[in-house]
Amino acid sequence: MSLLSPAEGWYDKKVSKDEKMWMLIALILCLSMFVWMILWHVYGKQNPSSTTYRTSTAEFSTLTEAYIKKNQIGSDNGIPIVRPKPNSDVFLMAEMWRWSPGLILEKDQKYKFHISSRDIVHGFSLQPVNMNFQVYPGYDYVLEFTPTELGEYKLLCNEFCGIGHHTMIGKIVVIEKDEDLKKYGYEGFKKEPDPVPAAGVVANLTEEQKASSGEQLYTLKGCAACHKVDGTNVLAPSWKGLFGKEEKVTENGKEMSVKVDEAYMIESIKNPKQKVTVGYEKTPMPVFPLKDDEIDHIIAYIKSLSK
Amino acid sequence: MFRTCDITGFKVDLQSEKLIRYNAVVSVVSLLLAVTAALLLVFTRYQPVHLLNAEWYYRLVTFHGLNALIFWIIFFEIAGLYFGSTVLLNTKFCSPRWGWIAFILMVAGLVMSNVIILMGKADVMLTSYTPLKAHPLYYLGIILFAVGALIAVALFFGNLMIARRDNTYGQSLPLVVYGLMTAAIIAVITLASGAIIYIPTFLWSLGLVQNIDPAMYKLIWWGLGHSSQQINVAAMVSIWYMTSFLTVGGTSINERVSRSAFVLYILFICLASAHHLLTDPGVSSAWKVWNTSYAMYLAVLASMIHAFAVPSSFESAQRRWGYNKGLFQWLSKAPWGNPGFSAIILAIIGFGFIGGTTGVIFGMEQTNIIVHNTIAIPGHFKGTVVIGTTLTFMGITYYLIPLIFRRKIVGFSWAKIQPWLFFIGIALLSISMIVLGQLGVPRRHWDSTFSGGPFTYNFNPAVDFFWALMMLGGVIAFIATLIWILIVVISVFWGPKVNGPQDMQLTISPLAPAAKEHKGYEAPGTLVLTMIFLLVFLALFFLNWKWLAATWNVN
Repeated sequence: MSLLSPAEGWYDKKVSKDEKMWMLIALILCLSMFVWMILWHVYGKQNPSSTTYRTSTAEFSTLTEAYIKKNQIGSDNGIPIVRPKPNSDVFLMAEMWRWSPGLILEKDQKYKFHISSRDIVHGFSLQPVNMNFQVYPGYDYVLEFTPTELGEYKLLCNEFCGIGHHTMIGKIVVIEKDEDLKKYGYEGFKKEPDPVPAAGVVANLTEEQKASSGEQLYTLKGCAACHKVDGTNVLAPSWKGLFGKEEKVTENGKEMSVKVDEAYMIESIKNPKQKVTVGYEKTPMPVFPLKDDEIDHIIAYIKSLSK
Repeated sequence: MFRTCDITGFKVDLQSEKLIRYNAVVSVVSLLLAVTAALLLVFTRYQPVHLLNAEWYYRLVTFHGLNALIFWIIFFEIAGLYFGSTVLLNTKFCSPRWGWIAFILMVAGLVMSNVIILMGKADVMLTSYTPLKAHPLYYLGIILFAVGALIAVALFFGNLMIARRDNTYGQSLPLVVYGLMTAAIIAVITLASGAIIYIPTFLWSLGLVQNIDPAMYKLIWWGLGHSSQQINVAAMVSIWYMTSFLTVGGTSINERVSRSAFVLYILFICLASAHHLLTDPGVSSAWKVWNTSYAMYLAVLASMIHAFAVPSSFESAQRRWGYNKGLFQWLSKAPWGNPGFSAIILAIIGFGFIGGTTGVIFGMEQTNIIVHNTIAIPGHFKGTVVIGTTLTFMGITYYLIPLIFRRKIVGFSWAKIQPWLFFIGIALLSISMIVLGQLGVPRRHWDSTFSGGPFTYNFNPAVDFFWALMMLGGVIAFIATLIWILIVVISVFWGPKVNGPQDMQLTISPLAPAAKEHKGYEAPGTLVLTMIFLLVFLALFFLNWKWLAATWNVN
């Protein structure tokens, strides 16, 4: 009589045997599942961690960049590659739209990942093992991973992060011995990362040295996520042959033509919203905190790509 | 002003009837918008077609989510709340003027948000996780809608008070209205969460607030986003009990049990936000385990109780009608030709076997690692919100057309197959999405070939099959929805008028005869069915934990 007021005496009606039985089974199931989750913390090997540190986007990107600079042994498609020591801290940064650095890990070794974002919320999705975690700006999520299988893994982003979301894909390889590096074309990488020059040493660099430093910055700072150097224009103009070219841009809603020279590039890096290249309005460039000499080196690198 | 229904004998407040009609019409329009977008989305994710460009894909994902999950469902629920609190209680609407204010606010919110989305100013997904920022009018639209909905819920309580004062329904509220009241209470809790998060976010988008912490945003947003799904559950289960009454004259075999289960929803369902933070930084494992289990699964227990109580109400009534042979004669002799009945039974099956099982398993702290943000998650809620809630609402509409709109159903033979078609479509869609998600495919992702990225990834080749299956399911479900919308629109606007019981195409069953005193099992068939459900659940449970155990170790 669900549409009408219930019959007299409904409150005192006895619960039937089968309904009682079902409720008991359901209750046992519910309690068991609750206990199961707790027991998995004791006996299971996959548990999301409770360790989080407060950080800021600026602090975390400085830490990650320093980490990469210190440990980079090569690069793969513009992504710097690091081979962390077992049991060490690994910094992994998500940003629109790349994961950096790429990693070489050893099977059955522990690595303490610090994962955070430089801009907005991203999703850590490791395939094909299919492990997924949330990545926030301002939170350093500490997850201790132990890879249990050899092979090549891809890191997808599975939290919507803007128009280039689908291009955000990183790489982790798991090896057992050094020979395994060949499979991934990594055999030519340095055995040890270059020593970081002591602070205060400012040499007068040649144009070539500047360009090579610029190339490093290109992967390190994430330019490679959008700007390609092979002439393809997907999310942003390719740097190949860019220097000296005439580009159509929009400034304050007006379309005009500019020559890509040093002044224009400095302005575009420091204040990317000022002049927006026609055709790339949908993928606006973020402001990257770069020092003047870093900008100088990047420009040297872009110049070298036009020769 | 009342009319007395010549079919059911209820007193119907004409003002209330008008409000019910208008809210129902807008909900159907929202559904049409939502499914149109859905079809385009399916054909975009199906890579061989890849219909939309990235910009429009993400735009329509946002559009689809808002119209399907919020506008369609809540407008319909408001219509349901008005129906339950006036027609079923033989009482008048407390303040029609405020009813129209609520309606106008909600419609204004709908129009504002949708226009801003289609203008490309709010490509932020339904969840709009900060620091992604939409145009201020997008947030304002949602706030207006929520304020309107909150007023509507307050009117529901006003109606209850009038009915109580005038003593129009006897001693206790009918079970259906009791369930709807549960839905209304949960609605107040969730809409309050919505206000707590959308108002500061609106100010932030205007530049008046500096920073919205992304983790805090997500925690409170899901206090709206997930808990609001429990409004649907409570409303849907109420309709299930109502259908049992309408189609076979049944009621819960023990109303005290059913009502207690509704109370459990109110007490524990508000913890659901935790389901979305299981793989997030910032909250501890103890917090996750306690909250994700709704305090030791007491809200799941409530659903399990209904899982027995609802089918057993059909079984018990059918047995009293004399369909007593064996375990399942009550089921085989059920009114399957009645689309109201078949829709609801299919909704129950889909909700339990697809939505319910995956919901509990995916919502456990550790197993969430292997599904979080994959397409399995929307796969899960296609099983709950689409097969469960939407099909239930479609089914009950077949009763609302003659009873509230006073029209005959045009194309009744189409109406008979529509629930089946919809069920098959969404089941295929939902199951394919769940499998794809288990294979790692992300949700809300424009290009699974990762064009333009530094690397690429090839999913397990099995995905091709399931993408095709998903597309097929989506097309079938779209056609079924279109049939339903056409039936509803043509019937309501151009259908022949209903002049009395002789024009009813759907049967309304008289009350099943009283039970003879009997001991032992009251619904053995249901017990067998629920046991089958339990076995399926356990199989899926262990399968998922086995997959989890095969991943890397993480701590």
